Amino acid sequence: MLSGAFHPHRSTGLDPVWHRKATLGAEASQFMTELLITRQLSRQFPPREVVQPLDLSLARGDILGLLGPNGAGKSTILRMISGDLAPSRGSIHVCGFDLVRQPRAAKRHIGYLPERPPLHPDQRVDEFLYDCARLRGLSRSAAIGARARSRQQCDLNEVGQRLIRKLSKGYQQRVGLAQAILHDPEVVILDEPTDGLDPAQIRQVRTLIGQLARDKAVLLSSHNLGEIQAACNRVVILQQGRCVYQGGLTPSERTTYRLVLEQKPESSLIAELPSLTSVETMEPGVYRLTLANGKRPSEVLTELVARNWGVSEFAPETHNLEQIFLQATTGDTA
Amino acid sequence: MSLTLAWMEWRRFMRTPLAWIALALTLALLSWSFLGALESFNKLPAASRRLGLTHHLGLQLYGLASVLMLIITPILTLRAFSDPLRNGSYALFSSAPLNNAQILIGKFLGILLYQLLLVLLPLGLSLSLWSGTPIDPGLLLSATLGLLLLSAGFSAIGLGFSALSDHPGVAAAGSYGVLLLLSLLDQHTERGSFLHWLAWPSHYLDLQMGLVRLHDLVYFLTLILFFLAFAWQRLERRLQG
Repeated sequence: MLSGAFHPHRSTGLDPVWHRKATLGAEASQFMTELLITRQLSRQFPPREVVQPLDLSLARGDILGLLGPNGAGKSTILRMISGDLAPSRGSIHVCGFDLVRQPRAAKRHIGYLPERPPLHPDQRVDEFLYDCARLRGLSRSAAIGARARSRQQCDLNEVGQRLIRKLSKGYQQRVGLAQAILHDPEVVILDEPTDGLDPAQIRQVRTLIGQLARDKAVLLSSHNLGEIQAACNRVVILQQGRCVYQGGLTPSERTTYRLVLEQKPESSLIAELPSLTSVETMEPGVYRLTLANGKRPSEVLTELVARNWGVSEFAPETHNLEQIFLQATTGDTA
Repeated sequence: MSLTLAWMEWRRFMRTPLAWIALALTLALLSWSFLGALESFNKLPAASRRLGLTHHLGLQLYGLASVLMLIITPILTLRAFSDPLRNGSYALFSSAPLNNAQILIGKFLGILLYQLLLVLLPLGLSLSLWSGTPIDPGLLLSATLGLLLLSAGFSAIGLGFSALSDHPGVAAAGSYGVLLLLSLLDQHTERGSFLHWLAWPSHYLDLQMGLVRLHDLVYFLTLILFFLAFAWQRLERRLQG
């Protein structure tokens, strides 16, 4: 059902035509509109290729989730994009700057929260955030302003004078998040950002991610389906370093319909209806229908009722992320 | 950017008890050695005094200071890279607009800033005699320069081993091993040989005695640059995975 969305041999978020026919002008225009572009990005830890060639493209407003089981290569991808690990092959462009050739210029536009928040436990929160802002090249006065803003965004005002090592795990995670956004980067990279947070804090972080994505691109990873579903508008599903799906969370063009008929006719008879393109028998009397282009469900229902097969159920069957994930990683269509 | 990082590292280190304990212990031991040097000099009959008081201080006070630096420096440097590499906080630096060389120089200068405090202790003690007795300021400056170069060399060795391993214990063991080796080479190798040249005590002794010679300066600069290059190479290899 979802075969059109999978690219087992070619993991790409870019139009393949772009690869073949890109002119210099088109390329330049893409660099101007996209905040993050990776091309054929891969990483080897010999003898294993832990990330197979991956093409990503993020524009302002995108919240792209990397989803996959542990060991799928999510953190390795994020480490490469943040400049913490060199890619074996491929390129990364951040706001038009090549991360390998112009690392300093590119890194000015990156905010990165690794899986374990990078903190100095013996510092106070305010002092730590100020130092991080200075490390990102902000002037003294700008660093103080940036600290106040990110502290507010991450709800850290009341712990500004506390030692980081004395904070709870949830607060430490928020300090890590604050350091990632305090220099107002264009591309925010978050590795398991809600790890260790309670439900209220998780909701806060999701709201913050949504706010950030208004004028930035956010790339986050999680092994939690619900997390990706709640926070992201696009998803990349990884399995053993390979991109097995890239696209929306509930692709509308893949909506199918579940039909239950009392008469239990052969699927070939149902397939004769002009408004359908395919019929699949799930079990006797239960079918999955795919509508022909431009056909409305009401037209199909009218045709079904006219045949007197005893329609007892007719409902849209949208594919949620769990189905996409299961099909992408195991081939299970249930 | 490296200077910003150096200042941060120094401020962060000064927040730890270790910084103040090391300063206090060094001051106590140097003061004790200072008083001992004064007493032994006073006890010498005037006719048998071949060296002046400043030479005495240069040998005893700065001699002890070099041993203390050998003990303290690996403790200062062992966590410089091994800790952030192990707990992931190195990402703070690697995702900032800094390259590995800038990070390394920042860390190195941060440690050197702290060591400067330790280096100034014997100088301060010696200068306390200024109003009461003639002091050779040139010799004191030479010995201070020697102690600073020695500290920088020890720090470079410590940083090299800290970048080598994620385990602070390995970093400390490696640093102490090399420092002891470079100390023992002085007594167990033939004078004039290359191995003898590798030992730090004879180069430091010249500066302790007020002799600022180019080949000693070249030795210390070579030591510093070699181990900083080693640390930088380790960090680059880590970036490459």
